[in-house]
Amino acid sequence: MKLDGEYTFDGPREQVWEIVRDPDVLVTALPGAQSMEQVGENEYEGEMNLRIGPVAGVFSGKLVVSNEIPPESCTLTVEGKGKQGFVNGTGHVNLEDLGDDKTLMKYDGDMQVGGKLASVGQRLIDTASKSIIRQGLDTLNNALVARVAAHSTGGQVAYSAPSETEFAASVAKDMAGEAFSSSRVRWIIIAAVIIIIVLLYFLISGNAV
Amino acid sequence: MTKKFVGQPIIRNEDPRLLTGQALFVDDVHIPGMLHAAFLRSDYAHAYLKSIDISAALERPGVVAIYTAERMGDDWAPGPPLVSPPATVEDVVFNSRTQVPLVKDKIRHVGEPLAVVVAETRCIAEDAAEDIMVEVEPLDAVVDLEQALESDSVLIHDDLESNLAAQLVQNKGDYQAARLQADLVIKKRFTIDRGAAAAMENRAVVASWDVKSQHLTVWDTTQAPIPIRNGLAARYNLAEHQVRVIAPFLGGGFGPKMMMFYPEELLIPWLSIKLGKPIKWIEDRRENFVATTQERVQIHEAEIALTSDGRILGLSDTFLHDSGAYDPYGLTIPLNTQSHLLGTYDIANFSSEIKAVFTNKVLSTPVRGAGRPQGVYVIERLMDIAARELGMDPVEIRKLNFIPPDAFPYEQNYIDQAFAPLIFDSGNYLPALEKAAQMIGYESFIQEEGPRLRAEGRHVGIGIVAFPETTGVGPYEGARVMVEPSGKISVATGVGSQGQGHFTSFAQIVADQVGVDVRDVNMVTGDTAEFHWGTGTFASRGAVVAANAINAAAFSVRKKILEHASKHFDAPEEELEIENGQVRVADVPRMSISLGELAELANPLRGAVEPGTEPGLEATAYFGPKYGATAFGVHALILEVDVETMMVDIKKYVVVEDCGTILNPLILEGQIHGGVSMGIGNAYYEQLIYDENGQLLNASLADYLIPSATEIPRIEVSHQQTPSPLNPLGSKGAGEAGAIPVPALFAQALENALDVYNIEITETPLSPNKLYELLKHKEEQL
Repeated sequence: MKLDGEYTFDGPREQVWEIVRDPDVLVTALPGAQSMEQVGENEYEGEMNLRIGPVAGVFSGKLVVSNEIPPESCTLTVEGKGKQGFVNGTGHVNLEDLGDDKTLMKYDGDMQVGGKLASVGQRLIDTASKSIIRQGLDTLNNALVARVAAHSTGGQVAYSAPSETEFAASVAKDMAGEAFSSSRVRWIIIAAVIIIIVLLYFLISGNAV
Repeated sequence: MTKKFVGQPIIRNEDPRLLTGQALFVDDVHIPGMLHAAFLRSDYAHAYLKSIDISAALERPGVVAIYTAERMGDDWAPGPPLVSPPATVEDVVFNSRTQVPLVKDKIRHVGEPLAVVVAETRCIAEDAAEDIMVEVEPLDAVVDLEQALESDSVLIHDDLESNLAAQLVQNKGDYQAARLQADLVIKKRFTIDRGAAAAMENRAVVASWDVKSQHLTVWDTTQAPIPIRNGLAARYNLAEHQVRVIAPFLGGGFGPKMMMFYPEELLIPWLSIKLGKPIKWIEDRRENFVATTQERVQIHEAEIALTSDGRILGLSDTFLHDSGAYDPYGLTIPLNTQSHLLGTYDIANFSSEIKAVFTNKVLSTPVRGAGRPQGVYVIERLMDIAARELGMDPVEIRKLNFIPPDAFPYEQNYIDQAFAPLIFDSGNYLPALEKAAQMIGYESFIQEEGPRLRAEGRHVGIGIVAFPETTGVGPYEGARVMVEPSGKISVATGVGSQGQGHFTSFAQIVADQVGVDVRDVNMVTGDTAEFHWGTGTFASRGAVVAANAINAAAFSVRKKILEHASKHFDAPEEELEIENGQVRVADVPRMSISLGELAELANPLRGAVEPGTEPGLEATAYFGPKYGATAFGVHALILEVDVETMMVDIKKYVVVEDCGTILNPLILEGQIHGGVSMGIGNAYYEQLIYDENGQLLNASLADYLIPSATEIPRIEVSHQQTPSPLNPLGSKGAGEAGAIPVPALFAQALENALDVYNIEITETPLSPNKLYELLKHKEEQL
């Protein structure tokens, strides 16, 4: 599966780079990420809760950063596997200075998905991964804006990452939005989103099943 | 014999049990102390297996045993080949690679079993399977048939030079010479994709080894219990009588439940012997998508040569056939395709090449239709395209080329899937086509209704296609018929039942022969303890091979009844009649005896009998046809396409089926309805989507669309009967018929409905999406 897109950050390129290369911040940008440990110079290992449609589970993974040209570009290689399948992918990230404290990130990559994740979650995977990426980048941008603000005022970094539930709710909203685009069925979207959010909340907090 | 029941629409004997929950299915088998198995399956389509760590899984409470290929030791061996390669064809290449019980070194498709866990409950077994840690070295997957044959392709079987599984050429006449004389030569490429059989009941096995009686009982959702019994006995060094395989009621077979020796089918009995415990394994739906065999992928490069007035001079076709990861079922499917490439037509010159290819997908074995729909698709599409090129009516070009009724038995001069000369035993195609055309209202649709609807801006189209179906192949089946002291009749045959109505249609034959009510005939099918000679239910052969064996056994019992009654009454046999379970001397009402009493007299407890006397009123008989009986039919439909959604609404669907003598028209129509429904799925809804990494992307019934009642129209069936000269009943098979012509029929009707767009359909399955893309592509060209 191909993934590509772009995203504009509200901050200078050097600071975007810092954020992207900071594992502590990065871990907050990944929905359900439970830990991320640096195990080598450019190697990280971690665990992540992932839910795509009916498929949910813990995935343990490895992230390798290579071809690094600070603060311009790098290659990310991800290998993740869990009881529900596996995800392998390689992506290229490029940062372009737009001036005026704006930075354009372009990314493209190739992802291989296998197991139940592929065979049962497939029809949701495209939307879900796009949504996860956008949410993740939004989170990074919020962190960036907070950092930039703190830097200019000299105060504390006033930023807290969204919780896993908040993340899942946003992904669900994105997916529902894609499924029903007509205004005639807006009420269905609203109802569906509420139901999905409630379900996800219960599933994630372990109160159900 | 008077035909009181054969040919009548008798309501099924088995339905009261099925409808009131009194029929045994494999999952209904509960044995005290029974353990449950679950399989760990590969998430990768192609990879070297590096290591399997079961230590954490073994610690889970309730786990009894875990086996991997390594832990099976010397008991690990690949499964047996199920069909041998065709020895009668020259220069045949056949690389036999059979599936393995558990992966030892290399994974070749997603879903291949890596380990089996036996535990106190299924839940524990599944959880423990998830505890197992597997290390693999992934390889590129080979999914596309043409890429698989490229010289730089990754090899699925490392010891072979390429991914070519088999290659075979068959010729009749001289196609190249015929081509030179042709006024019109049409060359087309046709692509056909995969579908699942998707039986309502998934596979299931319960095995129980009894140490003290040294006896293995296996309940198995198999269509062929006897070969499974023989194979299990041979594999586990048991005498055949030490193994009993029972195929109880099955929720559908459709081919993938034939004598497959699936890994699970071999392992569950082995585990039961090993652990001395009864063990159950029930396949779940997701497993069914990745571990039960599938069918249909072929790519055809076909060419047809015709005269300007529409006579076919010859056909040439080279096709690639997807074997999947292993090829235990030999060349059955592609040979069946070859046998149907000439359709119902008299074509003197034919050249055809099969190349079977290994891919990283679930194995391909027969699914209802078994290669026939592909052959029929190619020839019927070519007929439509030729008719258009020549400005002929699709019905007329078919009529012109039919094998004439006086040409039967028609020798095709090449071999069929049984490696025997392909001969169409009998047929009469023209009346069937005319009947179907009349039923669908062909003339009035073409002349009036079609143009009128088109003028209204509606997209309504008509289709009509003909097809043969080779059925009823040997080698043989057998049956035992016995009169019980109660006067009821017990019948046992080796074939299994998966919903075909055997308990009724077979009972009708017996009831007529021995003069009892059809409700007084009790059938046992698919239990090797009751009957242990035969092969199984497949290739549309039950109503031909098993039915004629039953007929022969019942005839022998009738003879015994008459002999005994003749002695009893001291009256000549010619004066006796059997009716309503009584034998009586005609015209002498008081001289009458029930079959039960006669059966008791035939089994005396005291005194002496004459030498050579056989006890009771019982007989066993066998039947093996010289070659297969070829049925045929014509399907026609009218459908409307909504060009906004590309959804299809079938307005009318008619079938004219000729499968020789009809045993039970009600059951036959049920078979046709089911077949057509499956065909509609094949034509417009069901497609297994594999990505380039060999991952099946729609392995659930939410994503793999099986047509439901809303997609299936009312199907009108009309019968024609051209009896087969090859068996006493004159019957031919019909189990697969309904499914065979539907993709070709849909293509013709869709082209007709969308004629303003002038599209040409050369692929199946279609879907609303694909039709949309075809139209969009056409619009872009304009």
